[in-house]
Amino acid sequence: MAEVAVRDPGIKDASAPKGPASQRTRVYRAPPFVPLWALIGGAAVIALIGAYPYYGSNAYVLSLLGKFLCFAIFALSIDLIWGFTGILSLGQAVYFGIGAYFVALSLKINYALTHPTRYGGKIPDFMEWNGLTELPGFMAPLINTPFAVLCALVVPTLLALLFGVITFKRHIYGVYCAVITLAESLILQDFIIEYQAYTGGFNGITDYGNYATSWFLWCILAVVVVFFFIARALTHSRVGTVLKSIRDNDVRAEFMGYNVANYRIFVFCVSAFMAAAAGALYAAWVGIVSFLDAGPVFSIEGVIWTAVGGRGTLIGPFIGAFVVKGAEFFLSGALASWWQIIVGGLFIFVVLVMRDGIVGTIGNWIRERKKGATLHQVMEESDQKAHDRQLDWQPGGPPSADEPVR
Amino acid sequence: MLQSIITQFLSGFSVVAILVIAALGLAIIFGVAGVINMAHGEMIMVGAYTAAVVGKLGGNTFLAIPIAFIVVGLLGLAIERGVIQWIYDRPLETLLATWGVGIILQVVIKLIFGPELYYVGAPKILEGGFRVIGRLPFPWYRLFLIVMAILLLALVFYVIFKTDLGLKVRAVRRNRAISGCLGIDTARIDMTIFAFGSGLAGVAGAVLAPIKSVSTAMGFPYAVDSYMVLVLGGVGSLWGVLTGGALIGEAETILSFIFNNVIGRLLVFLFIVIIIRVVPRGIFGYYERR
Repeated sequence: MAEVAVRDPGIKDASAPKGPASQRTRVYRAPPFVPLWALIGGAAVIALIGAYPYYGSNAYVLSLLGKFLCFAIFALSIDLIWGFTGILSLGQAVYFGIGAYFVALSLKINYALTHPTRYGGKIPDFMEWNGLTELPGFMAPLINTPFAVLCALVVPTLLALLFGVITFKRHIYGVYCAVITLAESLILQDFIIEYQAYTGGFNGITDYGNYATSWFLWCILAVVVVFFFIARALTHSRVGTVLKSIRDNDVRAEFMGYNVANYRIFVFCVSAFMAAAAGALYAAWVGIVSFLDAGPVFSIEGVIWTAVGGRGTLIGPFIGAFVVKGAEFFLSGALASWWQIIVGGLFIFVVLVMRDGIVGTIGNWIRERKKGATLHQVMEESDQKAHDRQLDWQPGGPPSADEPVR
Repeated sequence: MLQSIITQFLSGFSVVAILVIAALGLAIIFGVAGVINMAHGEMIMVGAYTAAVVGKLGGNTFLAIPIAFIVVGLLGLAIERGVIQWIYDRPLETLLATWGVGIILQVVIKLIFGPELYYVGAPKILEGGFRVIGRLPFPWYRLFLIVMAILLLALVFYVIFKTDLGLKVRAVRRNRAISGCLGIDTARIDMTIFAFGSGLAGVAGAVLAPIKSVSTAMGFPYAVDSYMVLVLGGVGSLWGVLTGGALIGEAETILSFIFNNVIGRLLVFLFIVIIIRVVPRGIFGYYERR
């Protein structure tokens, strides 16, 4: 890969000419890694959630909090690939689901050892219902829970690596990637339902106890914080700049000498790892895992949380997951099937009206107040300029219309 | 064993026909209008419910086909005017918006018709069947599906390649800006082609209703299958629909017979991914000049 001189926004340009301030070129000063107000606000929210077991006694709310945090990690993983790199995956739940199933299976096998089934077997009840008398050999290693957790994290990441090598190396992305990932999660869902002796099938894996305790809530919170800072470091580094340039114009990024496929594969693996961790935490927290957690509907739900919160922002996925999922838990009871219509309308609303989501819209509003242009105005303007330039340069007329400019 | 594989191959033809019928509407909408229509399955579902209503009122499939074409075509027109017309330039977001449309359609249909399954009978003439190579029973309705697939494909070929509308559609697809300069109302072409594609999805629903119980969730698997057909065959190519449908249909039937349904689907999926890796734009897809 050819070295391309890119001015790193984080490094002060030493070669800038010295002289009176009026003659000096303005040096771009990178904003702090995390602004102070955000740090304080974030710490307050974390403290508020983490201290819930002390001031609240509602077990239902506690369980919802842990669930939402897992969903937020899942949405963050989608935001990394979609919001920052422009890969729309409709099969992100595959990684979430595999992570969840590894942990749930391990916990269930261990639970069965101490809680014999009605017929005295020491294997998970769903295996017994399906005629198995002893644990299948290939599942024996899962008795060791740390090993299962390791599998839950490593296997999805390797799967994502495989998927990335197969598709991104051959320039399969955009719609093709969306369709293939969608089919992937549909097939995994069918697979889980069909091989019910090993996966619990339609009923999923239930009754293995759960870890809905305050210390596990803190574990989840710690993972959330760590992942948030990993994502922050990733997107605010040079790699992150390249990822955003791939999102905005992959052809141009390729011409600048970046190996677009490798960047895509890398971020896809990171995102799969996060989704898998979310799944593993979710399985342990909730105590029930079903095929729905690996299916296409859950994947697309994650996409909509990201879109509602604000894609391309790090805090957006958290807000989206809490707002949408929270509204669902409190409204779906009262509104029944009308809630589904609201969800459907939300998809259309986010695409047509509120393109930048909650966080993006607020950001635009603040920028406008500061007399700046909104992100979209800036982007559309630069697009228009690029388009006009191309018209000048090409003697053969404008570029083919079926090729979007961006 | 060999003979049973041959009989499976023959019965695979009807699976191919089903895939082609389901994918045609999508090939028009996705391939020509460039909209990733995730509500395609729900359009098929609405077509099937239309057939169910026509059946309740005493009509049969032959009557249901044109009615479903009109009903779902109008529905597509409404969706295009209401949602799609603003977002043609953002294909990946049409996916999200149409997914929302699909959810709303499912809920509305469920509110109107209730959660129970509907069964639509095949027309009287097409009941029963005949036998191929001695053993394999082959229902007349399956033969009708094959004929229907050929007829619909011929219809789409005719519309795209022999009519005035088709000429304009191809011009807009090749170069939208120049077509606009030459006086073609491109927005109107988009609208028409979206409605036409939706109508075809409705026909698919009406035709497929007798072989499957009609429910609100029936459409989604068809939509995913249709997308796989298009991705394999090449987006925007009618020959691609036929080729993709034939490969997927036959492979799925034979592999499902040798192993089981799920393994069959998995193998077909891997097979598609491998082919896509060799020809990223599908078998009949053309390489866009960058």
